[in-house]
Formats: sequence, C-alpha cells, structure tokens
Amino acid sequence: MTGQLDQLFVSLKQWLVSFLPQAAQPMAGILLSISAIIGAFATMFAITTIMERKILGRIQNRLGPNRVGPFGLLQPAADGIKMLTKEDIVPFAADKLVHFLAPVVLIIPVALALAMIPYGRNMTAVDLDAGILFFFAVGSATELSVFMAGWSSQNKYSLVGAMRAIAQMISYEMPLVLSTVSVLMMAGTLSLPLIVQAQSGYIYEILPRWNVFTPWGLAGFVLFMIAATAESNRAPFDLPEAESEIIAGYLTEYSGFKYALFFMAEYWGLFAVSGLAVTLFLGGWNAPFPFLQWVPSWAWFFAKLGTIIFGFIWVRGTLPRLRLDQLMNFAWKFLLPMSLINIVVTAMWHFSRVFQFVGAREMRWVLCALVLAIPYFFLGRALGEGRPAKRNYKFAE
Amino acid sequence: MNFDYAQLFSAAIPETVVVITAFLALLVDFIFLRNLPARTRTSLLATVTAVGCLSAIAWMGVSHSTYRLDDAIFVVNPMTQLVKQIILALTIFTAFISVQTNFTRHLGEYFILLLLASAGMMFLVSAENILAIFLALELLSLSLYVLTAFNKQSVFSAEAALKYFLFGGMSAAFTLFGLSLIYGVTGEMNLTAIAAKLAGKTTDPLFYVALVMTVIGFGFKVAAAPFHMWAPDAYQGSPTPVTSFIAAGSKVASFFILAKILFTGFAGAEGDAGWHHYISGWTPVLAILAALSVIIGNLAAISQKSVKRLLAYSAIAHGGYALLGILTADQKGFASLIYYVTTYALTVIGAFGVVAVVENYGGDKLSDFAGLSRRAPILSACMMVFMLSLAGIPPLAGFFGKFYVFTSAIQLGAKSLGLLWLVILAIAMSAVSLYYYLQVLKQIYVVDASDKTTVSVALPTQFVIVALAIAVVVLGCVPNLLVGKILAALSLG
Amino acid sequence: MHDAFFYIFAILTVFCAVMVVANPVSRSPITSAMFLVLTITCMAALFVQLHAFFLAAVQILVYAGAVMVLFLFVIMLLDLKEEERRRIKAVSAGLGTLAVGSILFLIIKSTLQFGQAGAIPPHTEGSTASLGKLLFSNYVLPFEILSLLLLVAMVGVILLSKKDLK
Repeated sequence: MTGQLDQLFVSLKQWLVSFLPQAAQPMAGILLSISAIIGAFATMFAITTIMERKILGRIQNRLGPNRVGPFGLLQPAADGIKMLTKEDIVPFAADKLVHFLAPVVLIIPVALALAMIPYGRNMTAVDLDAGILFFFAVGSATELSVFMAGWSSQNKYSLVGAMRAIAQMISYEMPLVLSTVSVLMMAGTLSLPLIVQAQSGYIYEILPRWNVFTPWGLAGFVLFMIAATAESNRAPFDLPEAESEIIAGYLTEYSGFKYALFFMAEYWGLFAVSGLAVTLFLGGWNAPFPFLQWVPSWAWFFAKLGTIIFGFIWVRGTLPRLRLDQLMNFAWKFLLPMSLINIVVTAMWHFSRVFQFVGAREMRWVLCALVLAIPYFFLGRALGEGRPAKRNYKFAE
Repeated sequence: MNFDYAQLFSAAIPETVVVITAFLALLVDFIFLRNLPARTRTSLLATVTAVGCLSAIAWMGVSHSTYRLDDAIFVVNPMTQLVKQIILALTIFTAFISVQTNFTRHLGEYFILLLLASAGMMFLVSAENILAIFLALELLSLSLYVLTAFNKQSVFSAEAALKYFLFGGMSAAFTLFGLSLIYGVTGEMNLTAIAAKLAGKTTDPLFYVALVMTVIGFGFKVAAAPFHMWAPDAYQGSPTPVTSFIAAGSKVASFFILAKILFTGFAGAEGDAGWHHYISGWTPVLAILAALSVIIGNLAAISQKSVKRLLAYSAIAHGGYALLGILTADQKGFASLIYYVTTYALTVIGAFGVVAVVENYGGDKLSDFAGLSRRAPILSACMMVFMLSLAGIPPLAGFFGKFYVFTSAIQLGAKSLGLLWLVILAIAMSAVSLYYYLQVLKQIYVVDASDKTTVSVALPTQFVIVALAIAVVVLGCVPNLLVGKILAALSLG
Repeated sequence: MHDAFFYIFAILTVFCAVMVVANPVSRSPITSAMFLVLTITCMAALFVQLHAFFLAAVQILVYAGAVMVLFLFVIMLLDLKEEERRRIKAVSAGLGTLAVGSILFLIIKSTLQFGQAGAIPPHTEGSTASLGKLLFSNYVLPFEILSLLLLVAMVGVILLSKKDLK
C-alpha cells in the first residue's frame, strides 16, 4: 500500500502512456512529466503568492488579503484574471522584439531547471549525468533575460535595475556554485538522484544521514541559502527591484501578461533553487526518521520545499534591504572565502574518515566545525571594520 | 589509472621554483617592503627574483634527467633545459634593469607578472603538444600585455598595451585556428604524432591553410614583417625593462617553439624556397617573411628619431635573420638559431638597459644620447659594444651569430645554393643597418652634450649592463662556449 | 532522426554565426550579441548529440552565461548609435568575403577529396567522471597553467582598473 502510494505518479504516468503506440511512448512520457511539472508549479505559484501575503501580513501585524473568497483564498485567481485582461503596454522607444522575448527567455530555462530535480523516488523528469551542472547552466540564462528586459525598455530605471541585478547575480553565483561543490565531492557524482541516494540511510539506525547534519553541510546550506536569496532577487537582496529607489527595476516597463510571466518565472526560480537546496542538503525525498518511511517520498520533498519557502518569506518580512556596497562586500569578502574554506573542510572530513577509535566521529565533527567557526569569526569582524563612522549625505541634508 | 605525480613534479621543479618565487615576491612586497623607498624595494625584489631564478638554473645544471609526459604535454631534455636556463638568465637581467626606472609603485605585482611570464616561457619551451603550447603562449602573452600597460602615468603605455593586446589577440586567433585545423586533419595534439599522421597526407589543402595560419600567428608573436605593425608602438610605449623583456625573453621562447613546431610537427612538409626549384611547404612562407622583415626592419629603422623605436625596427630585422636559421630545417640551422637569438637577447637587454638609464635624463630620443660619452663613459662603452654587436662587427657575438646563421643557410643549399638569394639580401641589408647603429654611436661620441650633468646609475643596473657587455665580447671571441653546449644538448636530446 | 537533429542544429549554428557578423536587418551590437548567444546554445546542442553533457553544460554556463553577460555589460556602456552609423568599407568587406570563401572552398574540397577526417579517437568519453580523471592525471599540468593564467588575468585587472593615487 505504502509502496503504491509512493509510486502513485510514476504508475499513473506509465498507465497513461501505455495507451499509446510503442514508438511514441518515450516522447509522450517526457511530455507528460513536463506538463505535470508545469501544472504542479503553476498551482504552487498561486498558493505561494497568497501564503506570502498572508504571512507577511501576520509579521507586520495586519490581516493580509481577505476579501476574495473564504479567508481571501481566491485572491490569486482574481490577480490572474486581472493580469491577463490588462492592456499590454510597450514603450514607444523600446526594442520591441527583445522586449517581447525577455520573459520568454526567462521562463524556459527556469522550467528546464525544474525538470532536473528529483521530486520523489523514481520521479526525476530528466536524469542527466551532469544534472547539477545543467541546472546552473540554464540558470545562468536568467541573467541574460534580466539584461534583455532592462536594456530593451529604454528606461533609466530599467537599465539601472538590470545593471544592479546582473552585478548581484554574477557576484552571488560564485558562492552558490562553490557551496554545492562540497556536496558533489562527498557524493562523488553530479547527478541529482544519486546525490539524494547518497544521503539515504540512518546513523545508529535513527539519525538521518543528510548533508545538513555535517559541519560542512551546515555551512554549505547556510551559504547556499544566502546566495540563493540573492540569486532570486528576494529581500533583503532585492536591490534590483527596490521600489523606493528605482520603481521596479528592470520590470518597470512591463505590464499585463508579460509582467505576470516575469512574476511567475521569479517564483519558479525560487522553487527550483529551493528544490535544489532540499536535494543537496536536506536529503531530498528521504524521510527524516526510519519510522516515518511510510509517508510517500514526494510528500517529504514538498514538505521540505514548503518549509524552505516559508523561511524565505520569514526572512523577507524580517530583514531590511542591504546597501549596494554592503551587498558586494558581503559576497566577495565573506561568502566567497567561506565557501572556499568549506571545500577544504570537506576534504578534511573526507580524509578523517580513516580514524576509527571511540569518539572519532564526534571529534571530527567538532574539529571541522572549529575550522569553519574561526574564519567565520574573523571574516565577520573584518566585514564590519570598513564601516564609515558617520554617513555623509551628499544630496539629502 | 595510476598517474605518477612524483615524477612529473620532479621534472617540473624549475617551473615550480619560479612560480613560488613569483608568489613570494608579491608576498614579501606586501608584508615587509610597503614603506621602504622605491629603489630599495626594487633592488630587494630583484634580489628575490634572482635567487629564485638562480636556484632553478642551478637545479637544471645539476639534474640531467629527461622526462616526457603522456602526449608530450611536458618534455624535459637537455635542449629544453638549456633554453630555460637562458630564459631565466634573461629574466634576472631584466629584473635588475628595472631597478633604474620608477614607472610604478606596484612593484610586487610587477615582479609576480615578470616571473609568471618567465614561467609561461618555460612551459612553452617544454611543450610539444599543441594544447600545452597554446596555453603556455597565452600565459606568456597575457602577462606581457599587463606588463606593457604598467606605466599608468603614461598614455603611451596604455596605447602600447592596447595595440599589443589587439594584435596579440588576433595572432592568438590565427594560431588557434591553425592548430585546430591541424587537429581536425590529424586527430592528434602531439607534434610527433602529427608529423607521423601527416607523412602521407601533405597534399591535403586544409593542411596548407592550417600551416599558413599557424605561421601567421607566430609571425605576429616574433614580429616578422608584414605582421610587425604592433612592435614599434609597443616597444616605444611600454616601460623600458618590459620592452627589453619582450624583445629578449619572449623572442627566445617564441623562436624556439616556432622552430619546434615546424621541425617536429610539420616535418616532411618543408618544401623548398630555392630560387629555381620552388616546392610548396613552410619554407617558402618563412622565406617571404624573412625577406620582408630584413628589408622593412632595416629600411624603416633608418629614419627613426627614438632609440626605442629604432631598436624595435632593428628587432624586426633581426627576427628576419633568425628566421633564416629556421629555414635551413636541419639540426645545424637549429643550433645557429638558438645561438643567434640568445646573443641577440643578451645584446638587446643591455641596449635597453642603457636606454632605461638615459631615459631618466630626458627621454629616449637620439638627441638625448648626445655627448653621453662625457657624461657616462662606462655606459657609453657598453652601448658601443651592444650597437656594434647588433650591427655584426667581427669580434663581437652579433657577428658570429650572423655568420653562423648565414653559413648554415648556404650549406643547406650546397648543391644548388638555393637560399643564396636570401643570404645575399640579408648581408646587404646588414650593411644598411650599420648606418643607423652608427648614428646612435655618433650621437654618443661625436655630438656635444647640451646637458652636461653626469649620469648616475644604480649599482645593480650598472653591474648588469657591464656584465652583459663582457658576455657579448666573450661570446663573440669564444663562441664555442655556447655553441658547444647547444650542440651537446642537441646530440643528447 | 539523429542525423536530422544534427543537420538542424548545424545549420542553425552556421546561420546564427553569420547573423552575428553580417545581419542584413539590424546593425545593433545587441542583436549581434543575442545571435552569438544562440550560436553558442546551438553548439551546446551539438555537444549533447555527442553525449558530452558536461561540455554542453559548461559551454552554456561559461559562454552563454558569464562571458556573454560581460559582453552585454560592455555594450551597454557604449554609444550604440555611433556603431550603427559606421560604414563598412567595400574593400574590407570584399577581402573578408574572399578570404572566408577561399577557406570554405578548401574545406569543401578537402572533405570531398579525402572524405571525412575519419573517426577521431574519442579522447574524452562523455561522462564527467572520465573527464575529471583525465584533468587530474594527464592534463594536470595544462590545468595548473590555466590557473596561473587566471591569476595573471586577476592581477592584471585589479592593477589596471585601480586608480593610482598620486
């Protein structure tokens, strides 16, 4: 029974495909998986927007949307209809073709990235040998789209927003990728399903073998999440769209359906990167405890995904926006060195496996954590040092 | 798969030493030397460089192992070690000439780039695989582009760097296109294997495209006419020690690797550039380059007012003479080539060293050298040696170099005197070159000085220039000191 | 099927590459850069057909992602109008066409005469692991040279872009 529930979607797909002639089956299988992913995440996008607004409302001591439907739950549907029926305004000076292509260029790679992720046991739409690399490769196309949107609008706010966004994305892509390297080193593969498999099993038959429970995994997870926040342009790294400074950044000249596409693509990007974090650090679809293994694998995956997204919303509601110089200093002077040190620590962890005496497991944990904690302390202090004592306002006195 | 790292490491110790010295130079400068006066800093850093390079030279002198990494990515034999020693010696000289100048405050960066450029040359010399050759070439070139732009107070330095970079990028594109076509035709990256594959295939038209592209790429690198346009500006604009390094070290390495590619990789496709029996191959291409370089270099040098520019055109001409050594396509020609470029490099570093000193008192115009014999007699004597050696006057190294190259070119065509036309042209142009070298000496010894102040020279620079002058004289009188070594290395390797 | 995909992507690659340098409709550098991205992506598709997924991913990651974005960054800071006004000299266009044409002719002639270059032995099997093993054994030295090269680039950029306080 539990096995059947676990493989529910896989069997469903096989059953549907079996109606077709033999030759068309692989193609149909791929199409089915893709449409399932698109459908699932479109729904999730709707749920997330309303949840985000509700939770932010709670954090800011207000109610949030509560007019449309019971508890305001139909708000996304209303928003969607509004977006689709709005007039699509293209600025006169804009480069029409590029302006039109930008949201398309954004949504396709994001969808491709979503196809890489293992959602459950045997539930990977595209299983590539170099899956994680492919994930980052298609992810880099988002920078292109941001540039296209910002440049083609012929609007100074758009251009400034695009420049900020690209500078930020390039800076944070480095720690993002480097923090995954330690996982790849320990798993010995670039394939995402295999990385999940490497995290299955339990220590002492009870503790999960997830990467996040090792010193390098914990550090990597934190680094990854910070970089991922910046990559998806979310608060406190939302300078490219800082409303109070540059209207809406590169989205300024977008309206109607194109804006909705952008909006959805940004959330999909968030899902993709959170899904990657779950896969790499939180054990993917593995259950946290052996006695909970009866719950279907995909349920675990989406539960973890939901938790991470809740974390994102929480951070957004809590932290103020960074200044541009703080943003850059943080990436280059803190995250980058820390992620490099983390790789070294991973190697230490790997090679200290040979020690088998009693308490060796605990000792290497403490040792590796120390090697990470000391540079963390000093790098953090150095980051604060350059702060000007008094800020001089040139134009706003 | 068990890969022998220890063996690779022990073969690459000289390179490792140089790279570590480079890091050390930067580190020492950052930690200890920041607050010292510039000249002290340069002297100390030059000493660090010298110690590193000397220990690498000494190691290569002591160990006589040979090594060949799979696919000939890294080859160590007596010949490569000899050329590497020469390159390191040139690096040391350049480092000490830098003491005289003050074009930058970023000395740590200057020395790390200088040393990494030499490391690039060393890897280049040891590479017999087109991938490794290209990588090492890029390491060398990129360091030199940055070094060229080092004088940030001078617009000319920036201009020189931009020109050098753009032409260098072009030449890299040509080289890469040629090399990738060769890989496409043969499916090999190892020069020996390429030659073996090409043995029956030389009529493939694509191969000729590849050959011409490769030669053009390297033609840019060694500044052979008609690909010399960047050289005068880059030589004039860049800081003088850098100019000397480009003219000396980079030239030795580039000529060595060009000869190696042509001799090893394109063996069997030599063709013939003889007067009456032309056979297509790489020698006719090189013969055209050599003839053009000799003519254009020497004629254009006559009208130059700036000594650095004059030396740049003379470098083009000397590139032409050196190409004659490659044209012979045999071991003797190869030996003559190495001897020629080495002595040329020693001479030209010395000459640029003198220019670097004089530059501090005005500029590098010919008129700035007026009456130098009264202001700095030792320097002037050294400059006379260098100039006469460049012109090829008998007891000096330059004479024997030319003599050796020309005779090996003639002997090749003993049956038909095929290359005689080129040799005669080269000798005639060599006579022309005497005119402009004597122009410099006339300024130094005959014309009266407008500025009578004595020229003061930093001790290390003075020492290096005098040592170079002595070396030029000694190598001219007893050429066998170097030739013997080259021939011995060739017979062993 | 496989061949069909190859021809589609090969033709697309060539078409986009031509459009980068000789676009009859638009002279804007942005359009050229966009076509360059397309060229690179199509080349990645060709790599995929050779089962070199790693190379394909790296091709997109490095070229379409990083390098092209830097290109666009630079283009963004240029005066595009001037670039569009610039006239192409007939002589240089003619010579360029001649050079490309003759090389194309030689390549076609050579292919017809000698057949395809024959099966080049696959030095790197598609799999990432074998590529990694090769990089850390036989090609460890070029790999290290490359790291030095990047170091030089880094030192150079910092040095040249830093303002000299004087």
